Amino acid sequence: MSSAAPETISIVLTLNGRAHSARVAPKLMLADFLRESCGLTGTKIGCDQATCGACTVLIDGAPAASCATFAWQADGAAVTTIEGLAANGALDPVQEAFKAKSAFQCGYCTPGMILLAKALLTANPAPDRATIRDWISANVCRCTGYQMIVEAVEDAARRMRETVR
Amino acid sequence: MSGPLRAVGAALPRVDADLKVTGAARYTVDVALPRMLHAKVLRSPHAHARVTHIDARAAAAMPGIAAVITRDELNGLNATYGYFIKDQPIVALDKVRYIGDMVAAVAAETEEQAVRALERIEVRYEPLPTVATIEAALAADAPALFETPPPGIVPAYGTGASGFKDPAKNVCYRFCYTTGDPAAFARADHVFADEFRFSRMQHYHLEPFVTVARVEGGEIELWSSCQNPFPLRKELARVFNHPEQAIRVHVPFIGAGYGAKNNCKTEPIAVLLAKMSGRPVRFCMTQEENFLTQSQHAAILKLETAVSRDGRFIARKSEILLDAGAYSDASPLVAEKAGYRINGPYRWEYIDSRCDCVMTNTTPAGPFRGFGGTQAGWASESQIDMIARRLGLDPVAIRKKNLLKLGEAYVPGESGMDSDLAEGLDLVCREIGYGRSERTKGRGIGIAIGFKDSGGVNKPAEAQVKATTTGGVIVNCGTVEIGQGIQTAFTRIVAELFACPPARVAYAAINTDVTPFDQGTNASSAIVVMGQALERAARDCIARVLAFAAAELKCAAEDLRLENWSVIKDNQAHALAPMIMRHFGGTGFEFVGRGFFKPETDHHAPLEAKCVSWEIGWGAAEVEVDEETGRVAVKKLVVSGDAGRAIHKDACRGQDEGAAMMGLGQALFETMRYDGAELVNIAAAKYRVPLANDLPKSFRAVTQEQGHGPGPFGAKGMGEAGMLPVAAAIANAIEDAVGVRVTSLPLSPEKVLAALDAKREKP
Repeated sequence: MSSAAPETISIVLTLNGRAHSARVAPKLMLADFLRESCGLTGTKIGCDQATCGACTVLIDGAPAASCATFAWQADGAAVTTIEGLAANGALDPVQEAFKAKSAFQCGYCTPGMILLAKALLTANPAPDRATIRDWISANVCRCTGYQMIVEAVEDAARRMRETVR
Repeated sequence: MSGPLRAVGAALPRVDADLKVTGAARYTVDVALPRMLHAKVLRSPHAHARVTHIDARAAAAMPGIAAVITRDELNGLNATYGYFIKDQPIVALDKVRYIGDMVAAVAAETEEQAVRALERIEVRYEPLPTVATIEAALAADAPALFETPPPGIVPAYGTGASGFKDPAKNVCYRFCYTTGDPAAFARADHVFADEFRFSRMQHYHLEPFVTVARVEGGEIELWSSCQNPFPLRKELARVFNHPEQAIRVHVPFIGAGYGAKNNCKTEPIAVLLAKMSGRPVRFCMTQEENFLTQSQHAAILKLETAVSRDGRFIARKSEILLDAGAYSDASPLVAEKAGYRINGPYRWEYIDSRCDCVMTNTTPAGPFRGFGGTQAGWASESQIDMIARRLGLDPVAIRKKNLLKLGEAYVPGESGMDSDLAEGLDLVCREIGYGRSERTKGRGIGIAIGFKDSGGVNKPAEAQVKATTTGGVIVNCGTVEIGQGIQTAFTRIVAELFACPPARVAYAAINTDVTPFDQGTNASSAIVVMGQALERAARDCIARVLAFAAAELKCAAEDLRLENWSVIKDNQAHALAPMIMRHFGGTGFEFVGRGFFKPETDHHAPLEAKCVSWEIGWGAAEVEVDEETGRVAVKKLVVSGDAGRAIHKDACRGQDEGAAMMGLGQALFETMRYDGAELVNIAAAKYRVPLANDLPKSFRAVTQEQGHGPGPFGAKGMGEAGMLPVAAAIANAIEDAVGVRVTSLPLSPEKVLAALDAKREKP
């Protein structure tokens, strides 16, 4: 057996609902893979230290900091980026809520915030305000002061419940 | 205009909503060009040192390296930049002046190759004594950051104001303002001298400083995350001795700035590397590098305030020392504003203000939301409360007694207040429940009024509005969308004037070749300065359309009005599109209107032109102080700004709430901590910013629409004011709660506990 690190690793993942295969360098981060190799620039890099959450994507439905996840770690997983949330041109209820409530300003944290909220509402369709505040404290928004985001998540929960009904 | 407003104030989504919620919005970080290289810079590990030797030959020979910049590559350039004082080199020349100062730069095929090459650049430093604080920099034996003064200018001032470059060692700029009779001090019953300290924050914009540049065929083209593309173009023309018409700046969406993204940051290095390599270059800083590039100004503020025994303000002498960091950046302008705003929206008989920019071996300080008004307001609104309590007067009553009235000039020669200050004060008092009789132990309420002028200084702006054959309207102006919602505000204003659906109005991409001139998206100037230019441009465009239609219909233009891209004459609508095609041919035409605005130059006004508008942030906080730990919990926070007229209500609310949370962070915990000259809590993992968990249980932003603003439909700028009162309101609430005064930010448990202990130890 050679001890040399392989040049690239072969991965197969479901990216925004479609099968996707690629060869990635061992040190390539998922955020860079998505932005540079796949052209999915909706995923933003902020702090690059897994702290601000701008780079949040969903891996098998769970929020993850793509700046601190190797691309090969997504092998076999379903990855959802902001580009994969709208279905057939129709916005996801979380996107609709952020739009209706103007829960964004510069928009740089917005893709990550929306995916973070999506994960919460998928697991808990009716979170109370304290739960929402706790949950979205995983990500930084420097513009809004959070209150309008909290309200948008509440609004999204209502919209999702109505869609199910 | 007749009838109710339709587009202005409409509860419609922002125009950038779809792009931003789908991830389709393009920022400078998303710009990628074919054959693009990546830049990285080598930064100084020393706070202050002479660069005795630098050799980058080994780095240049590394794989993938296309260009290397050291001081040797700056020959033939004007290698230093800055707002008023040209003191910041593209890379270090003779010295480095702070930890993180840029020493060399490389462009490589990949960022990783660039980082590896930096390790091979050989630099020898001869360390020099450092000055990490204002006090150290002003000490008699302090080393000078600049042995010879860098070139620079002092702007023209009007009556009572003056500026001085290099008035003392390590002081790069001094602003002074004096008005009234100095003898007023002698007529006072009391003179109170107090000192306040203001700690500095980092802007923490999530999109880093980033530029993509290319230099091809003698043309410089760049995409930059920049708030002021036109001054940037002018500065790059000077630095590179390059004609302005051959520099094109594009500004995509900006991932926020809060003041940081003015003037040169990543641009000169990106342009120079692109020029040297002949290939496009992307220079994107890391968040650590953002922290080493720009910060707010820390400050020491000393106030001597003379009052009558019944609480009338008489005179104030202020001495403000701003920590400018290692390079001047916008410090002279921040000094001007801090020195000018220190007296707040109150009536005085005598004012004597001085503000110095003190150079230290730390991150350069620059514009930050509030722009000197935050520092000034912290000190002034704290001291007013202290004076009220010392005199046994009510803190709200003492303010009301001295507040300037609507229309009353700020100082002689100045414009009048365009908000009713007492009205806003009553509002936040009501919201917070001020004057409630029941009291809970450890709980208290504080009030403060944040204050600044808005609209910049003597700022010109030009706008263009085009209407197409079929009634599409395109707004073309240099105000950048940095999160504030200006694309929404401006297109709604134009839709209102054109009496058309907002969806028919688009906001053009910014490209300095074709976009009309603007001085910059800063100073809450968009609505009150560019807004006035834009309103004129829209009216000019409409006048041209009506003149055309009048000729076609053989009537007077005055008999026509525009509605939904028809002209209405005698209650009959005539569709414009067919009329235009009949006259101009089937391919149609575009009507173009232009509008210009600039405040008039006025030597009687202290800043050489009257301030365009006044931005007020009323704030009220209720806190609970844990007397055992010193921990302060903000139970309720109320802020209120006056939008004059809210063009988009959610956007206004968002500005006040976002600003207030920034102020809350500054008040309670957020600060750049230095160990000597070393920034120890650099970047996200160590630097704490407010999170959703930090929201006060009760948090309310109330957008007033008093209607007195100079902008379209009575609008005013309001993006900064929400931050201004928060820290002082919380400090005032702490004294109300537990009877101790903390005069230094942040209001940490340690400081509050120390104050409580000191009080307990008093016999």
